[in-house]
Amino acid sequence: MAKNLEVIEQSTNKLTLAERQQKKPKKKKNKLKAVWMYTLLGIFLVVSIFPFYWMFIGATNDSSKMFTNPPTLLPGDQFMTNLTNLNESIGIFRVLFNSLFVSGLYVVIALAVCASAAYVLAKYNFKGKKFIFTAFLLSMMIPYQATLIPLFQMMSDFNLLNTYFAVIAPQLCFPFAIFLLRQNFLAFPTELMESARLDGASETRIFISIVIPSMRPALAAASIFLFMTQWNNFMWPLVVLNTNDMYTFPVALSSLMGLSYIDYGQVMMGVTLATVPIIAFFLTLQKQFISGMLGSALK
Amino acid sequence: MKKVTGLVSISMILVLSLFLAACGNGGSDSEGSGDSNKVTAWAWNINVPVLEKAAEKFKEENPDFELEVVEMGTDDVYSKLTTGLQAGGKGLPDIVLVEDDRVQGYMSAFPDAFVNVSDKGFDEMKDSFPSYKTELVSKDGAMYGFPFDGGPTGVFYRTDIFEEAGVNAEDIKTWDDYIQAGKTIKEKTDKAMIGLDLNGDDGLYRMMLNQQGTFYFDDEKNVALTSEESKKAMEVQQTLNEEGLVKETVGWDAWISAMTSGDVATAPSGAWLYGSITQQGKDTSGKWGLIELPAFEEGGNRASNLGGSNYMIPSASNNADLAYDFMEFFSTNKDVQLSAMEGGLFPSLNTIYDNEAFTKEVEFFSNQPIWSLLADEMDSIPSVNYTGDYAVAKDEAVKAQSEIANGKAIEEALKASEDRLKNRIQ
Repeated sequence: MAKNLEVIEQSTNKLTLAERQQKKPKKKKNKLKAVWMYTLLGIFLVVSIFPFYWMFIGATNDSSKMFTNPPTLLPGDQFMTNLTNLNESIGIFRVLFNSLFVSGLYVVIALAVCASAAYVLAKYNFKGKKFIFTAFLLSMMIPYQATLIPLFQMMSDFNLLNTYFAVIAPQLCFPFAIFLLRQNFLAFPTELMESARLDGASETRIFISIVIPSMRPALAAASIFLFMTQWNNFMWPLVVLNTNDMYTFPVALSSLMGLSYIDYGQVMMGVTLATVPIIAFFLTLQKQFISGMLGSALK
Repeated sequence: MKKVTGLVSISMILVLSLFLAACGNGGSDSEGSGDSNKVTAWAWNINVPVLEKAAEKFKEENPDFELEVVEMGTDDVYSKLTTGLQAGGKGLPDIVLVEDDRVQGYMSAFPDAFVNVSDKGFDEMKDSFPSYKTELVSKDGAMYGFPFDGGPTGVFYRTDIFEEAGVNAEDIKTWDDYIQAGKTIKEKTDKAMIGLDLNGDDGLYRMMLNQQGTFYFDDEKNVALTSEESKKAMEVQQTLNEEGLVKETVGWDAWISAMTSGDVATAPSGAWLYGSITQQGKDTSGKWGLIELPAFEEGGNRASNLGGSNYMIPSASNNADLAYDFMEFFSTNKDVQLSAMEGGLFPSLNTIYDNEAFTKEVEFFSNQPIWSLLADEMDSIPSVNYTGDYAVAKDEAVKAQSEIANGKAIEEALKASEDRLKNRIQ
């Protein structure tokens, strides 16, 4: 992709007359290529944007408009009605706050846990290190269905059902985040740590004041990832939360899905509202996210 | 090594302190245990107002009573219920709503998990409910649940399409008539007779089985996919398909939308469809009619059931007596049951069928008194064995249906499914 874009860029650059004459046939070819490229990109754009557009259409129209033939493609005037209905059904502000609180807290704690674990696994040598790292990676392969009931039993025995503690705790040590961060920490120059040690800095100080600040992109990437995981988390909160006012957004949204009657205006409005924070979170950290995902290669 | 432990302990302290903060915020109101006047219930959307109305009335006699309804999606109720039951009855409510086709599954998978309501005196009310409902929640002669709503079936049809084609729906008495009517409609209006999800759901097949007094399993719980009744049902469905009278509608939404937008002329379905089409097709008021299911032969049974639900009390409830008292009130109070109709639910309490709410003419259905038509069916609905293997059996039935639609011989496809099913449930 990058290479193609370069080609397009080159073709639009100003060239000397001689060069222009010389390059004419090639330029035509490039133009054709660009047209083809942009058409293709345009199609992909429409395909990926349309679901969001449809979501917006649904949120501003009456439920019955979702079922017309030909389909309704223009925004309607039911935005406020749907919003009010949704608020009556699930109490938007309460569940939105619940979700933000749970996800925010989760990101902070999980990041602290995962970053520490990743740092140790990347920069210290001790017996069983490989084994522990492998165990982390292997644990990614255990399907959550297998742990659901034992975990539930555990939370129930601890009398923690219907608490946010129960929602957050089991996933704090998130293997993928540890893996992602470890790969990034590996690239951190050990010499820097050593010179800090010579200067008398404690290990904690090295980690907090030297390593962490230079790892911001990786941490941002991991935090987006963790945020999304918790924000979209459905099954576990559903099982451990027992009152409507404790529900997180996805669980509350799902409660709209009754048997024979579903108000799609409300559902779509809810989905729209649930998408906004993710987009906002991503846009804020976008730059870091991309460079963080590319990881140590860019370092 | 020392350095590492230092780091670990710091992060531990960090984590713990944040946890405590989290706990302080959310942990205060764990389950309503110990509160002896409070009953919690799990139910999905349209049932919530009914429960709340009942609680309000129940409070008149029992001022201290408190009901907390936890609203959730239908599938979510089962996810939570199954998890709780598997964990040995933890985190369960005092009352839970379960659909007809799931009840027997739960009773057989978790034999002692629900309160025997016959022991508590519900047998006295048995006659107030149609026998197919009471048998459904019974095991070894005792009832383990309260029958709530039912799904007496009928053919919902679009009067505008029937008029355009010059077909009189009242003349449809048998499935053959139905196919003939479909052909005429196809010819005159180029519209399909019925929307079916041939690779996804077998609602029509199930209705036709129930109508003939059988199901995936016979009375002795033997697999019965190759029964005469099953073959007849598949034949009708296949004829519809071969004659081009079927519009493929994948999933629930497409099916509803095909009807509200007038792409198909009829929808054989349960009474609860009323709620969906009145909400989803508001501008089609007055264009609907309802007839009973066509019979297999002239004068044959036209009553059947699709859907419906029941309330159960988990044995783990530490407030089972109060929950029982409330549910007995809920199930037999006429006003409460009538209020269920506002959400499109069809109560199975038969002492209310002479009420004005049932005999009135319904504007949405061109002033046809559809509720009395459906109520008249209730006593003729044959009871059937869903068994605990309902879900697997349904899966196989849908496979057979899909194969038949793709050209496989009916007998062969049903036999193959029956064999697979026997293997799967051994």
